[in-house]
Amino acid sequence: MQENYLAKWLNNELTDEEIIQFKKTDEYTSYQKIITASNKLKAPEFNQNKALQAIKAKRNATKEAKVVKLNPFKKYASIAAAILLLCSLGYYYTTTLDQTISTDYAQNNELTLPDNSEVFLNAESKIAYNKNQWNKKRDVSLDGEAFFKVAKGEKFTVTTDHGTISVLGTQFNIETRTNFFEVTCYEGLVNVNYNGKNYKVPGGTSFMVVNGKIAPLSHVKTLVPSWTLNESTFKSIPLEFVLNELQRQFNLTVTTENVNTKQLYTGSFNNKDLDLALKSISIPSKISYNLEKNKVLFYAEK
Amino acid sequence: MNIENNTNVCEEKVYNQIFTTNSKTVFNYIYYKFGNEEKAYDAVQEAFVKLWENCAKVVPTKAKSYVYTIANNLYLNMIKADKVRLKYAHLNTGVTNETPEFLLEEKEFQEKLDNALASLPENQRTTFLLNRIDKKKYAEIAELEGVSVKAIEKRMHLALKSLREHIDGI
Repeated sequence: MQENYLAKWLNNELTDEEIIQFKKTDEYTSYQKIITASNKLKAPEFNQNKALQAIKAKRNATKEAKVVKLNPFKKYASIAAAILLLCSLGYYYTTTLDQTISTDYAQNNELTLPDNSEVFLNAESKIAYNKNQWNKKRDVSLDGEAFFKVAKGEKFTVTTDHGTISVLGTQFNIETRTNFFEVTCYEGLVNVNYNGKNYKVPGGTSFMVVNGKIAPLSHVKTLVPSWTLNESTFKSIPLEFVLNELQRQFNLTVTTENVNTKQLYTGSFNNKDLDLALKSISIPSKISYNLEKNKVLFYAEK
Repeated sequence: MNIENNTNVCEEKVYNQIFTTNSKTVFNYIYYKFGNEEKAYDAVQEAFVKLWENCAKVVPTKAKSYVYTIANNLYLNMIKADKVRLKYAHLNTGVTNETPEFLLEEKEFQEKLDNALASLPENQRTTFLLNRIDKKKYAEIAELEGVSVKAIEKRMHLALKSLREHIDGI
């Protein structure tokens, strides 16, 4: 007998031989009886029309119920989403918000970063850094002039409009003004990224870019920038930058008449004594000046 | 029935046709498993309401197996609740000229058969009754149950074997 022969038998799939063989068995009569009796079985009544009507009623009911149910949920969900968004935005805002310290004309400032690195800000300068992210990256952005005493540790980066300065831990001064960029390293080694190129500035030297031209590295004898000692020092710097510095240090408006502001100036002026400072600039440059309130006019006699 | 592929279940006409063709068998299918008319009725309703809700996603050719799957899932969720209690309406053979003894014997046999059916495993009973009452082919039952034709033949064979053993008191 083949497999599942009872199923085959019901389906008339047995061979004649198999049927003869099957009919000889004792069970055959019982099976016959079961089939005869089961053929008389009937499933309970099922009223299709009634069921369909009920389903259609239910279909509409669930449709309406859906509208009622979903609306408040949608409303609350949107409110919740809005609150969540505000909270996360607020959190994001406060954690990413930079700490900004700035100085005005004739002002200096001193601050300590979270890792005890010290920063001295010269007049009209701005420094920004992220307090919360500080442990991850020591990143400072600078506009103006500042002297850094960086504590040893991970890479310390200063971003300026002119270039990026990165160090491991050293003392250096950065001055970024319009068309003027100077990085002076007093200790260790500083890497300056200017226009996509890297320049190594070892201790005791100064990297300077004036009007887009890179000057050769010059040596620096002092241990700290002179401005931290209330003295502005220049070495072969066009006069216009010197005058700009004078403006910043004394909160003055400087104008010139018949003066070649491109001529180079080497020397220094005192950041506290205006009279002395004006003389320090005018005498070597052979120009005269006229001070009126907070306005200075430099002029050359023809 | 001829439901073209490009028609949509969401169309009332198509939906009604699917209902008319399948609802009775879905009802029986669940009834054979459950032995409870009310639940079978509920299952049919639930399944067809779900079909309507998802009419856009179900292509007409798949609607049938969709409805059976939903109904079967409902059955699986409820299975723990009740013990199967089957009750069958027995066909009235109409005018009989059989002897009272024969009728009594037949009645007794029907009772034995009912008991034997109730004691069958659910899948064997469903297969057996779909074949006997609803005259479903093995292939069609296989499709509803999501198994092979051979598996259905096996169930059918085992169902008959158990029924006989139960009735003959082995």
